[in-house]
Amino acid sequence: MTAYLRSPLTAVWLILTSVTFASWWLGASGDSHRLGVSLSITGSVVAIALLKTRLVFWYFMEVRSAPAWLRWTCDGWLAGLAVVIFALYSCGS
Amino acid sequence: MWFFVIGELWIFTCYFACYIYDRGQNPELFLAGQQLLSRGIGVLNTIILLTSSLFVALCVQATRARDVATASRFLALGGGCGVLFMLVKAGEWYVKIRERLPPSLHEFFLYYFMFTALHLIHVSLGLLILVLLWRELNPMPRRRFAAAPGAEQPRVAFIEVGATYWHIVDALWIAIFALVYLMR
Repeated sequence: MTAYLRSPLTAVWLILTSVTFASWWLGASGDSHRLGVSLSITGSVVAIALLKTRLVFWYFMEVRSAPAWLRWTCDGWLAGLAVVIFALYSCGS
Repeated sequence: MWFFVIGELWIFTCYFACYIYDRGQNPELFLAGQQLLSRGIGVLNTIILLTSSLFVALCVQATRARDVATASRFLALGGGCGVLFMLVKAGEWYVKIRERLPPSLHEFFLYYFMFTALHLIHVSLGLLILVLLWRELNPMPRRRFAAAPGAEQPRVAFIEVGATYWHIVDALWIAIFALVYLMR
């Protein structure tokens, strides 16, 4: 099993867990101050989530070696999700 | 499977859009509700699902290498992480339900329970699929002996398709965690 754990997938998992802790820290930052809407925190947290999702698509789901239509569909969904989140967030806040 | 997965992604995008829109109408209420969630539990569940995805991805690699015993071990570890995720989530729900949440935060918690329940349904279906993958890697003795020569090896494509569904469960949780637990 250890031979498989030396695969690049483990490095991807390490990046994913590290950025999860980074987003936790970002989400908790400012808790001691007045609680309010924050575009910078939301932008950072959502950007990290999109990056993590792309890593899952690209490496765990092996989209990086998939046909072009699937690569574009996955990236298109990520871009669409980002637009929807930020457009509606900007309208509301 | 990919058409099903892409459909799922866009359906969840519609739910996320409703959530962000409603949140924008009353951000203070949603922020107050968010403060009652345990981000630590959210992080723990994220790490559990990411680890589960790693094990399932390694199971696919071992299957391709015709290393069925190792593939089965990775699959069991991946499924174990899935069960652990459900137990942690059930514990989180139990605590929240016992806390007698303020009625003023009803709208936020409606979304919280809807997102997490929908996701748990997907985790349950994912676990069912992992059981089918296990059966593919470890066929019953009757089938093993009755199979034609050369047919005893697991179908790699079958394992890949099942793993794809499991990874999408992970990807959806990444988005839910960011939007419900962390965003401001």
